[in-house]
Amino acid sequence: MNLRQLLLHLPRYLGASGSPRRLWWSPSLDTISSVGSWRGQSSKSPAHWNQVVSEAEKIVGYPTSFMSLRCLLSDELSNIAMQVRKLVGTQHPLLTTARGLVHDSWNSLQLRGLVVLLISKAAGPSSVNTSCQNYDMVSGIYSCQRSLAEITELIHTALLVHRGIVNLNELQSSDGPLKDMQFGNKIAILSGDFLLANACNGLALLQNTKVVELLASALMDLVQGVYHENSTSKESYITDDIGISTWKEQTFLSHGALLAKSCQAAMELAKHDAEVQDMAFQYGKHMAMSHKINSDVQPFIKEKTSDSMTFNLNSAPVVLHQEFLGRDLWIKQIGEAQEKGRLDYAKLRERIEAGKGVTSAIDLCRYHGNKALEALESFPPSEARSALENIVFAVTRFS
Amino acid sequence: MASRWWRWRRGCSWRPAARSSGPGSPGRAGPSGPSAAADVRAQVRLGGSRPIPYINLVKHLTSACPNVCRISRFHHTTPDSKTHSGEKYTDPFKLGWRDLKGLYEDIRKELLISTSELKEMSEYYFDGKGKAFRPIIVALMARACNIHHNNSRHVQASQRTIALIAEMIHTASLVHDDVIDDASSRRGKHTVNKIWGEKKAVLAGDLILSAASIALARIGNTTVISILTQVIEDLVRGEFLQLGSKENENERFAHYLEKTFKKTASLIANSCKAVSVLGCPDPVVHEIAYQYGKNVGIAFQLIDDVLDFTSCSDQMGKPTSADLKLGLATGPVLFACQQFPEMNAMIMRRFSLPGDVDRARQYVLQSDGVQQTTYLAQQYCHEAIREISKLRPSPERDALIQLSEIVLTRDK
Repeated sequence: MNLRQLLLHLPRYLGASGSPRRLWWSPSLDTISSVGSWRGQSSKSPAHWNQVVSEAEKIVGYPTSFMSLRCLLSDELSNIAMQVRKLVGTQHPLLTTARGLVHDSWNSLQLRGLVVLLISKAAGPSSVNTSCQNYDMVSGIYSCQRSLAEITELIHTALLVHRGIVNLNELQSSDGPLKDMQFGNKIAILSGDFLLANACNGLALLQNTKVVELLASALMDLVQGVYHENSTSKESYITDDIGISTWKEQTFLSHGALLAKSCQAAMELAKHDAEVQDMAFQYGKHMAMSHKINSDVQPFIKEKTSDSMTFNLNSAPVVLHQEFLGRDLWIKQIGEAQEKGRLDYAKLRERIEAGKGVTSAIDLCRYHGNKALEALESFPPSEARSALENIVFAVTRFS
Repeated sequence: MASRWWRWRRGCSWRPAARSSGPGSPGRAGPSGPSAAADVRAQVRLGGSRPIPYINLVKHLTSACPNVCRISRFHHTTPDSKTHSGEKYTDPFKLGWRDLKGLYEDIRKELLISTSELKEMSEYYFDGKGKAFRPIIVALMARACNIHHNNSRHVQASQRTIALIAEMIHTASLVHDDVIDDASSRRGKHTVNKIWGEKKAVLAGDLILSAASIALARIGNTTVISILTQVIEDLVRGEFLQLGSKENENERFAHYLEKTFKKTASLIANSCKAVSVLGCPDPVVHEIAYQYGKNVGIAFQLIDDVLDFTSCSDQMGKPTSADLKLGLATGPVLFACQQFPEMNAMIMRRFSLPGDVDRARQYVLQSDGVQQTTYLAQQYCHEAIREISKLRPSPERDALIQLSEIVLTRDK
């Protein structure tokens, strides 16, 4: 059974039903965008995210969709798939993550890998250092760079899986039997560790200690970022007492560092100089920040949102809203939106939309988008560079 | 080779046969016949990967050497105060620590992050109370290899870093294992998952691993990176092996040894190999270091499994019969099952029914499972000593020899 067939069976195998879970990383798919006033607007700006991605995939030579799944589904680990299957019918988050991975693979949302490949192609071979002439290159990308793209996805997925661990002493009876949660935790830890081990092995094979150091430090950043995300307990309904600059630092750790350092590492593999490496880093960082802010803003700009739709209280618009209002007034607003200890998200959303939080967030998103485009200017014009620009346009688009 | 069996039978104190190391005279027939001994020896070297019914071989040998069976774990022939190099007897731990001063402070420096709670969690086990067994082996091996190569009494900074990395990788895996096993105590205190919860504990483990990887990258040697990333993969695969179980008795033992290698011995073997690569260009030395580490590692785990049955909770710092409670059938259990086939059903259901754990424990204590496992550990130790004896004499080499004996006789 080849990979594609296996993937065809996976959704049923995992008992998937209903619409795919929207991961925090995935931008809204149904935004019909009108072209806003936007610097550097390309006449070819596509209207749809999927189109951007599928065009980009053509440029890099093959779909990047299956990267981190490939090792999960290899012979040795049909064990993992079997173990995850045992979780069908339980409430463990790992099942949701696994389903999300499968669905996302069809939607080609393994974005980091794609960006790494594109920037590799956009930079091309180093004009200064010709020691890479013997490496093999397919579609303008070295095989070590392709490997790096895969490693990036592995690290991302590993932490995605580790995010789904459940605190056993916080379980409610509605979460189901303790045994299931313990088992789910076990499999989640092992799967995440397996992905990390594969990533480490892949890094070792690249035979480049600078790249290993970059990606290892990206992992350390990511772990800290995830730690901050987790710190807010669901019950407290309070935004962290942080300003937007702290929020940006934490978001860089959890969303920007991996992509930024990975882009830089791709340049290192091709032996580009420090300046090129820095530009790649900047692109990765700013594009990732825009992407995150975009998904944070979505709950506040959609027209047909149901009243029960929740949003993250530590997202960009909310943090900005709190900063404008001042902490005390904000806490008061939260209190007013609470009924019998449960938060009325619709009411709170109205309050936030009435303030300056949402528009500031949109501005911030565009600011980062601009910085990403600036970084791209130092790369020679090419299909790959245009694809990277289109990605920025797509993530800075709001209806 | 057979000569070594004879020496064992007479129960004499173990002298490293350094000067006359070699395959041993095939002419002398041991009581069990040279071919069986050769098979077991081969098994020991290959780590049990051949499909020979291992248990039967060991039983065959032990029945032929009755003295061996009666040697309990506590029988420890005190080594002479003089070693081959003629230097005074020293405690190998003290000798190793000379290069490891500041080990835990340096590890904590690698974990220097701004997030205070996460830092606290990651530093939790680097408080100086662990055995530091792995760093000590690494430090001693570094010196032994350096001396062997060019009589250098200098330990490179990169070799010392390997000691740090080994301890960090080990600790990261412990933190994750404790969440997987839902353990509540380790080294005499509460586990990270019990204090801070499972979510954060997993992240702490990931953080330690990433810090170890950064330190590894900074050494700047791609061979060493390849050697140690293999460990990370082996640790995970070892855990997966533990998840599954084997139907066939013979397969079970090979499975157990493979799991033991991956979970415990691989780290020690590869760390030893890594320091030897840094200290000496000779691949023969790298292999010696690897084999020493591997054999000591397996012996260490076998004794650990024995202690789970024979010691009580206070000494170990963690509760005993822990393996049975996790559904794991370790060496003593597998041997006991030979005598008490009724244990098979319990093994298959991973001791899940009430009363299984206690019954299994009773069976083991009634059987010779503990002795068999100890004997097996002794074989691995001897192999380790045989290997390391090929290096040039030095206090560190002799300390490594002593260490492998200490592995056998420790009680925690």
